[in-house]
Amino acid sequence: MDTLMKVWPYLKTYRKQFYLGIFLQILSVIASVVEPFMFGLILTELASNVADMIQGAAGAGINYERILSLLVIYFIRGIIFHTSTFGANFFITESIQYMTYDLRQDLIKKINRLPVAYFDSHQIGNILNRLTSDVESISNAFQQSLLQILNAVLTIFFVFIMMFAIDWRMAILVSMIVPLSGLAARYIIYKSQPYFRQQADVLGELNGFVQENFSGFEVLKLYNQEKRVYEEFTGITDELYDVGFKASFISGNMRTVLAFITNISYILVAALGGFFVLQGQLSIGNLQAFTQYTWQIANPMQIISQVTGLIQSAFAAINRVFEILDEEDEDQSYSLELDQAITGQVSFENVSFSYQADQTLVENFDVNVEAGEMIAIVGPTGAGKTTMINLLMRFYDVNEGRITVDGKDIRDLNRQQYHSQFGMVLQDTWLFEGTIRENLRFGNLEAEDAEIEEAARATNVHDYIMSLPQGYDSVIDQESSNISAGQKQLLTIARALLADPQILLLDEATSSVDTRMERLIQEAMDELIEGRTSFVIAHRLSTIQNADRILVMRDGQIIEQGSHDELMAATGFYNELYNSQFDQ
Amino acid sequence: MAYIWSYMKKYPLTLVGSFLGSIIFVIVNLGLPTILAKIINESLINEDYSSLWQNISWMFVLVIIGLLGNILNVYAGSRITTSVVRDIRNDMYRKIQNYSHQEYETIGVPSLITRMTTDAFVIMQYTEILLRSALTPVLMIAGSIILIFLNAPSLSWLLFSAIPFIILIFSVIITRSRPLSQQLQVVLDKINLSARENLTGLRVVRAFAREDYQVKKFGRANDEYANLALRLNKLMGSAQPLFAHVLMWVTVITIWSALGPLEQGSIQVGTILAFTEYLFHALFAIMMFSQIFMMSPRALASANRLKDVVSMPISIDPNSEGVKRTSRQGYVEFKNVSFAYPDEPEFEAIKNISFQAAPGQTTAFIGSTGSGKSTIIQLVPRLFDVTVGAVLVDGVDVRDYNIKSLRDKIGYVPQKINLFEGTIRENLQFANKDLSESEMDHAIDVAQAGDFISGLEKGYDSFLSEGGSNFSGGQKQRLSIARAIAKKPSIYIFDDSFSALDYQTDAELRRRLAAITTQSTVLLVAQRVSSIVNADQIIVLDKGEIAGQGTHEELLAGNKIYQEIAESQTNEGEVD
Repeated sequence: MDTLMKVWPYLKTYRKQFYLGIFLQILSVIASVVEPFMFGLILTELASNVADMIQGAAGAGINYERILSLLVIYFIRGIIFHTSTFGANFFITESIQYMTYDLRQDLIKKINRLPVAYFDSHQIGNILNRLTSDVESISNAFQQSLLQILNAVLTIFFVFIMMFAIDWRMAILVSMIVPLSGLAARYIIYKSQPYFRQQADVLGELNGFVQENFSGFEVLKLYNQEKRVYEEFTGITDELYDVGFKASFISGNMRTVLAFITNISYILVAALGGFFVLQGQLSIGNLQAFTQYTWQIANPMQIISQVTGLIQSAFAAINRVFEILDEEDEDQSYSLELDQAITGQVSFENVSFSYQADQTLVENFDVNVEAGEMIAIVGPTGAGKTTMINLLMRFYDVNEGRITVDGKDIRDLNRQQYHSQFGMVLQDTWLFEGTIRENLRFGNLEAEDAEIEEAARATNVHDYIMSLPQGYDSVIDQESSNISAGQKQLLTIARALLADPQILLLDEATSSVDTRMERLIQEAMDELIEGRTSFVIAHRLSTIQNADRILVMRDGQIIEQGSHDELMAATGFYNELYNSQFDQ
Repeated sequence: MAYIWSYMKKYPLTLVGSFLGSIIFVIVNLGLPTILAKIINESLINEDYSSLWQNISWMFVLVIIGLLGNILNVYAGSRITTSVVRDIRNDMYRKIQNYSHQEYETIGVPSLITRMTTDAFVIMQYTEILLRSALTPVLMIAGSIILIFLNAPSLSWLLFSAIPFIILIFSVIITRSRPLSQQLQVVLDKINLSARENLTGLRVVRAFAREDYQVKKFGRANDEYANLALRLNKLMGSAQPLFAHVLMWVTVITIWSALGPLEQGSIQVGTILAFTEYLFHALFAIMMFSQIFMMSPRALASANRLKDVVSMPISIDPNSEGVKRTSRQGYVEFKNVSFAYPDEPEFEAIKNISFQAAPGQTTAFIGSTGSGKSTIIQLVPRLFDVTVGAVLVDGVDVRDYNIKSLRDKIGYVPQKINLFEGTIRENLQFANKDLSESEMDHAIDVAQAGDFISGLEKGYDSFLSEGGSNFSGGQKQRLSIARAIAKKPSIYIFDDSFSALDYQTDAELRRRLAAITTQSTVLLVAQRVSSIVNADQIIVLDKGEIAGQGTHEELLAGNKIYQEIAESQTNEGEVD
């Protein structure tokens, strides 16, 4: 119940539609429940008319006036039923779909407010799933089951009332369906549950097996493993067949059992009711009414049992969705405004940092960078160069000491304002589905087309863009697979250039590009660095030699800093690193 | 639907069982009201106790039969659906095993996985619905019509006037809802994409302070989805009230038009009751039947995806009748070979390649990215087929071989390391399932993998997780090499296989390899000149063509491209 209450604040916004829908549904159920009784009145009248005629009573015949008035009432009830059923669905749908929209919006907003550290420790696929499938699951469960369950519960309630109003003995008989069905359903669910769990497990196994074998198909061919692997596969599908059959058969018989219970009640109603009619204690019409009520009770029981599964998965989904929504936001507080662009002066003052408490990454680190200087960061892979970026961008905050720009502690600044002063070009090029123009404009939303073209020219990518059939309006697809890695890199550099940042973070690593492309990229990067304070994860000799200062990292620590000449003279790790790389 | 039928008809007995079960279900559902009508007409109006108990006992018999029939129905249904989905998956997998790169790329591995798991599942659900909602409603409608004609022929015109209305209502709803639900799927994909982009580009989004931009962008897709969902659900919600409305009209008209005949005694009261119930069942059956059409679009889409997998033409035919044995071992020859990738037929990735390699020789290939070196060696085990010219192994065109026999001759270490979930032993047994312990030791030793394996608690029985992620790149590479060595092939092919090894391990490994390959042919693709200085012949590739051939010294002296490559690797200075 608590789980459902979590969703309530979202529904509450649309409570007008929701309550109206519920009201209409109640109306609909009442109208539905009186139908057998009304139809029964008509039949009773007809039966007594016919009985009179058979007995040859005087003036016996069909009582047309009475039948007509009964039909009219029956008709009106029908109209009420149809319109209220339609209306209930109409308004409930509105409240639920609007609620779903809000839920998704809140999730996406949350994603953009959570600290970066959260995403480093959680899988993307997992998070994404909550936004799509889990919300979908909640929406479906509410949309499909809410009204149905309400319907079912109200129906059973009102049917009880009607039945007891007519004849309490028959009422008790028919009411037995409810507990019996309930017990039967619970037993079947209990018996089938382990098989469903097994089925899910084997499906997971199938998924994993297929995943591995399709990705590694080349090796399987080269080593002629096809036959063996096929046998393994059929082993899994056989297991799935076995367990799937049991799950399907047992749960499928839910219908069988419920139908049997219903049918037996039908018989008992016919028997006992028939007896009462012959005894003169029950009208024929009401006998008919009770047989109809038998169906009217059985149906909701079936629906409830079917819908329980849907609701169960919704519960799980609700929990997963709120797990994210309940997470703490990134700290957005700030005390200082950046009223003008910063000069680009950056200082690290006695900074210490580690991702986990027991490992020290950076310790007592000091560096003072003047505006316009270029700092090269070097070190073997895994040395922790990205940590510098994480700290500067405030993706993570320092543990001790502080980082300042223009003398202001960056933690005191408004994050968005702070970020707008930065430009970032990473090795992992990210572009989104859209035109080249849109992607470039991401750097500066107010950029004019002319400015965009200028930036593209400066970064050696304009010619490539113009070689495409639609030029700047060419669409980059989802995986950005329709452009080569090198061109992607150039585009991200152009994007950064458009942002015209004061401070630049650049990763020079270029993978899998040929020498010509590499040269183009290098030129573009140089263009970007020109005149800006830059922190460059350096891979090129020229960059290092031109740097105002070099930070040497190893095993996550900054072990040396200084200019190239200074470090060579110091004959420390840098000297060793430099010499070993060119010792072919 | 024909696709599903082709699988279902393999189980004729079970299908008959399902059919039987459905008939029984219909008989019971229509039988009970019929008997009730009899009760009212005979027993109650005539006040006959004994016929009451007689009829009740008939009801009882009917219900028991119904119980058995239902169980049979569920049994048959479960059997068929689970069998069909198993057969579909097995057939798909067998077919996919014959796929070459081209077929894999046409569909894509993630899509293949989805088809194997999700699409097959959709078909299973649809089959279940077919069995439940196709047969039974049809029988129900037939049964109702028969009974109406038998018991109340004068009222039958009402049924026939009601049916067109019901069919009309459901056709309209179905034709309107189909495009809506298809579009809903598309927009859900959009939502997925928008959110995924936001997540993968998280740091960039924050760095450029574009959080609001992303949220707004997402909001547009979200909005579209909400609108579609509203329309669809409201539409579907109109089905039931409309159905009830038509039913109500028919009921009212039935009663009114039955009054005359009732008075004349040509119709009985119980019959009116039975008629309304038959009517309800018939019209309800139409509604159930229409469920099939609602589910069809999704099922059709899945069925097509599955059919595409199975009907894909195979580009590399396994040629089981092909050559199995040859007298010589280890001779590789390329005769004027050109090759273009299937998706880019006008662009030849390699042109006019000719060379020979003999046992005891190491032939190396070098060139910049995109020069075609990996492409060349992939042609030897027929991972691709040439477009022009021929590749010969031991004097026979590779296409004339039984493909398994061809691959048995080759020990191939691909660029992308692929180890499988299982023990180290099991992975090595890919080479030979009867691999002896000493053969394993030998292979591991040569591959320089002995030191880290002896450090493992379970040695050869240590477990490799999926993709071998619990081992480092260098360790995986060495295991991959050991696997090839254990095969004892006559031809070794190494595609940039030493990249993750440090200088010393690399050198030692190559020394050991040289020792065991004195009788074998080695084809080697490398990035670094330092890896190939000792090769018997080096083939320099540029833009898909042979730009030079010779030993290291010869090329260094006279080949411009080779000189450039060698120089860039010493001076360029990659600091990492």
